[in-house]
Amino acid sequence: MSMPPRSRTGSGPLLAGLIIVMVAAVAVIVLAAAGATPQSVWDSFFPVQGVTPATDRSHSTKSLYDIVFYIAVAVFFLVEGLIVFSVFRYRRKPGDDELPPQIHGNNVVEVIWTVIPTAIVAFLFLLSWQTLNTVDAKVPTDVHVRAVAQRFQWSFQYLDGPSSDANVLFTQVIPVGNDGGMFIPVGKPVQVDLLAKDVIHAFYVPKFLFKRDAVPGKLNTFDFTVDEAGTYRGQCAELCGPGHGAMVFDVHAVDQATFDTWFKAQVAQAAATPTPAASGAAQGPVVDLAAQNISYSTKALQAPADTPFTIDFKNDDTGVPHNVAIKDASGNEVFKGDIITGPAEKSYDVPALKPGTYTFVCSVHPTMTGTITVQ
Amino acid sequence: MTADATALTTHGPALETHGSGGMGNPVLGMLLFITSEVMFFAGLFAAYFSIRAGYTEVINSVSTHVWPPTQFQHLLNPFTLTTESGALNLILPATLILLSSSVTCQLGLMAIRRNDRRGFVRAFAVTLVLGVSFLLLQAFDYSVLMHEGLTMGATTFGTTYFTLTGFHGAHVFGGALMLSVVVYRGMAGQFSAKHHDMVEAVSWYWHFVDVVWLLLFSILYLL
Amino acid sequence: MATTTLNPAAPAYRSALYEWLTTTDHKKIGIMYLINSIIFFLAGGILALIVRLQLVIPKDATTIGGLVSPEFYNQAFTMHASFMLFLFIIPILAGFGNYAVPLQIGAPDMAFPRINALSFWLLPLGGALMASGFLATGGAAASGWTEYPPLSGAKFNGPGTDLWIMGLTLIGTSSILGAINFLVTIFKMRAPGMTLFRMPIMVWTILVTSVLVLMATPVLTSALIMLFIDRNYGGHFFDPANGGNAILYQNVFWFYSHPAVYIMILPAMGIVSEVLPVFSRKPLFGYKAFVFATVAIGALGFSVWAHHMFTTGAVFLPFFSLMTFLIAVPTGVKMFNWIATLWRGKLTFSTPLVFATGFLTMFLIGGLNGAFSAAVPVDFAIHDTYWVVAHLHYVLFGGSVFGVFAGIYYWFPKMTGRMLNETLGKLQFLIMFIGFNMTFFPMHQLGLAGMPRRIADYSASAGWTDLNIVATIGGFTIAASILPFLWNVLVSLRSGRIAGDDPWEGNTLEWATSSPPPPYNFDHLPEIRSERPVFDARHGQAAAH
Repeated sequence: MSMPPRSRTGSGPLLAGLIIVMVAAVAVIVLAAAGATPQSVWDSFFPVQGVTPATDRSHSTKSLYDIVFYIAVAVFFLVEGLIVFSVFRYRRKPGDDELPPQIHGNNVVEVIWTVIPTAIVAFLFLLSWQTLNTVDAKVPTDVHVRAVAQRFQWSFQYLDGPSSDANVLFTQVIPVGNDGGMFIPVGKPVQVDLLAKDVIHAFYVPKFLFKRDAVPGKLNTFDFTVDEAGTYRGQCAELCGPGHGAMVFDVHAVDQATFDTWFKAQVAQAAATPTPAASGAAQGPVVDLAAQNISYSTKALQAPADTPFTIDFKNDDTGVPHNVAIKDASGNEVFKGDIITGPAEKSYDVPALKPGTYTFVCSVHPTMTGTITVQ
Repeated sequence: MTADATALTTHGPALETHGSGGMGNPVLGMLLFITSEVMFFAGLFAAYFSIRAGYTEVINSVSTHVWPPTQFQHLLNPFTLTTESGALNLILPATLILLSSSVTCQLGLMAIRRNDRRGFVRAFAVTLVLGVSFLLLQAFDYSVLMHEGLTMGATTFGTTYFTLTGFHGAHVFGGALMLSVVVYRGMAGQFSAKHHDMVEAVSWYWHFVDVVWLLLFSILYLL
Repeated sequence: MATTTLNPAAPAYRSALYEWLTTTDHKKIGIMYLINSIIFFLAGGILALIVRLQLVIPKDATTIGGLVSPEFYNQAFTMHASFMLFLFIIPILAGFGNYAVPLQIGAPDMAFPRINALSFWLLPLGGALMASGFLATGGAAASGWTEYPPLSGAKFNGPGTDLWIMGLTLIGTSSILGAINFLVTIFKMRAPGMTLFRMPIMVWTILVTSVLVLMATPVLTSALIMLFIDRNYGGHFFDPANGGNAILYQNVFWFYSHPAVYIMILPAMGIVSEVLPVFSRKPLFGYKAFVFATVAIGALGFSVWAHHMFTTGAVFLPFFSLMTFLIAVPTGVKMFNWIATLWRGKLTFSTPLVFATGFLTMFLIGGLNGAFSAAVPVDFAIHDTYWVVAHLHYVLFGGSVFGVFAGIYYWFPKMTGRMLNETLGKLQFLIMFIGFNMTFFPMHQLGLAGMPRRIADYSASAGWTDLNIVATIGGFTIAASILPFLWNVLVSLRSGRIAGDDPWEGNTLEWATSSPPPPYNFDHLPEIRSERPVFDARHGQAAAH
């Protein structure tokens, strides 16, 4: 029995066009509803264009990426072009039952297309090996930080010696924000050690084009120098549980003077004796709030306006630091409670607030939020 | 132009073919199965060696590489008949028993190849008895070790020891089941010099189990 | 060419259901593999839609949560991958092997038919065990399909993980038994005249795949058992506090799981290598080179496992980088061989060729974006980001799944005696192709922009929202494409055009018998003088060599 008759392809391209248009229309509608602009969509498609990576060694990584990219694009156009060409050029004409030349192979051609790809990958390998030596190089460093990864927050310990608890000068408990995160001096080499307390995590800063796993029982360490002052967002990049997506942190690269001032203040604060907790009757009405599994027990609180009140805060997350901070509608912080590590309780004395809607948030876990209606 | 249907070389409902390679399908199948089991043990051995290479104890405040852990070293000398606390240490006799069972197995195989059905059944029965004895001695050994504090959770040494020897024991048990079937079918007269594929296959398996034990014994006790 | 005069639909004296439940016929078993696999494909697809709905927009800038809880989300992507890899892709390719290999080598069945049946039935059983995790306390396995300890340990995850381990052990056993069956069948039961180098490429790919299954899957079993012992019997294999090593699991796991990806692609390449010559009316270009390339990929596949672990700080990086780059060479050779098969051919774009072409164009992209990960410093940037999600889906979906659909449209007539509808088939391809690229191409950008994998939510200020919207719409487009496919199958089973023995003018022996074939496969076999015995019989020796 012979081949089935060729189906009518006349309507094929039209149908393809229709489907593409339909799907594109849905996409445009949903994007618009979500607040996307043509500019934001366009920018999304070129995430590395015009973005300079932030550390000295990341430039080597970017160069390597660019070379691989151009070779990949060239190969893509060549091979894809051959496929598309063949698909159009060698269609069987209707009614043509004659066999084409039955070619089984061609040794010359086969050797060529084995040797050339081998040469290309050998080149890429050597290039990437060389780049690796740059990226992984160990240098003398001025600042030594231990990034501690734990479900589900990062903290940063500044060391004055090899990585051990005895050498910790102070701990930066809050991982994000202007008064949290890892402060380092811009333009100076920094050594980061990774300590994982429970499961495997990974330290990843996209703008550094770099990540390294934090493995329990293993000390991973790496050096880098940030080129340009700024704040760089980082995130855990190894699945560590339900809170994996919430484990964000900031790296603040500041000038040497700012860093020194900050550093000295932190050392002093850590060495100072903690002020005794204010005791006495709770002031004003009491609001209850608890924290467990990296979320608050309620997302909606009520509080009276124009009078101080107390938040009885219970941290039920064993081993995890939490607090309650309150921000007004413009994002200014109007209250920040002490951070306590669970299981623990603390009463926060919140000053009087004007009527309005405020956000309460955990300084350590910015994904833990809720709303306080003050009236 | 079309080939004759009788050129298809099949005979018998079991689709047993003896191709030009000579080896029967069940034997080839068993060798391939043994290959997969070798890879299974390879994974366990790789874990053992990796853990062993990295195992350290703090001795005099210094982290030192040591293996086995100091508290268990006295349990791993196969050449003493009793442990320090007076319990019987039968691992060496057990090993010798398993080794002899391979010899009897091979003797049985050679017997059926020359159509000596009685000799074959006897030899395989003896093999089975020796195999079961090995299992009993191993079980006894386990109880001694656990009494002395070596358990699955007692450091990674305990974990790897019991996992490796335990899975070996499970394979011996499976082999014993196969040997029983061979002995039963042998007694029912189902094997002959011409048709004894299963006997060949099971013999291969039994030797494999023995070789794994030799490796285990050397690695756990001697090295 | 040979046709059979027997009516394959012999009157049954037992019910059809009983016959299917107790069959040891490789053709029926192969079809059951296909059906079971497609069921898990649909289940895995629904889980993927849940993932895409969760990620379409950030719930709000600062709150995790939304469609499903983060706990359930982790189960969703874990089981999505587990279903797709272990219960869809690997078994469906084994199912094609089961159906096609005995026919293509001129054998009446597989070497061990009863073990063949056991291999199949272990699959729904293992799959049910794995899936039952959703009903367990704490839900299904939720540490990614890779299940790295310590996260997958008893301290952080409940019995769903144990059910996953047990189910996977059964599935692995099914694979290994199948591999033994294939190897004995291929080595011992070829028809006279069919030397190894006259076997169809499909049979070669199943051969090499079976070697990989035989050697690699038991290593996975050992990793699973060690994890099970750590979880349930106080073991310390992966517990650094007691002499164990968390990275050890990754090494043992990936020693299997890298060859596993070749298990997932080689038979699909085999299918493409069957379809291209038939629909170009030319032989496969460079048959021998193709065989050597397949063997090379299989062998090299065992030497690259640690490229999944470049960021652990525990790997000898240059070696694994080199081997990973090298494996691109035999893969490239195959690509060029396929294009050369099309070159100067006379192409008929029936649905099998349409999907095979889709395979070529999409697998190319998957291979190219993989090269970035082989360059270690670049991997430091893109590992565990959506770039990898893009890569794996371009090779597994753009590659294997398109290959699978090519096989379905190619062999459905042989299996059922009826043709699938061409228009619906091409419609499926069109919608699927558009949806697939829309879903996964933007993930390259998302990875470069820094979006990590396996996160249940993200910040609105990250700039990832737009592409996630596009990807979600793409995902639902893929789902839409399944509808014409299912409709096609159901309608064609009842009223598709009668296929006859050889509707495609095929090359290989399965087209020398009826559709569907009789239980013992062949009445007569044509003479076997090349890898295209049916082509030779049709065109006589003059047109062939």
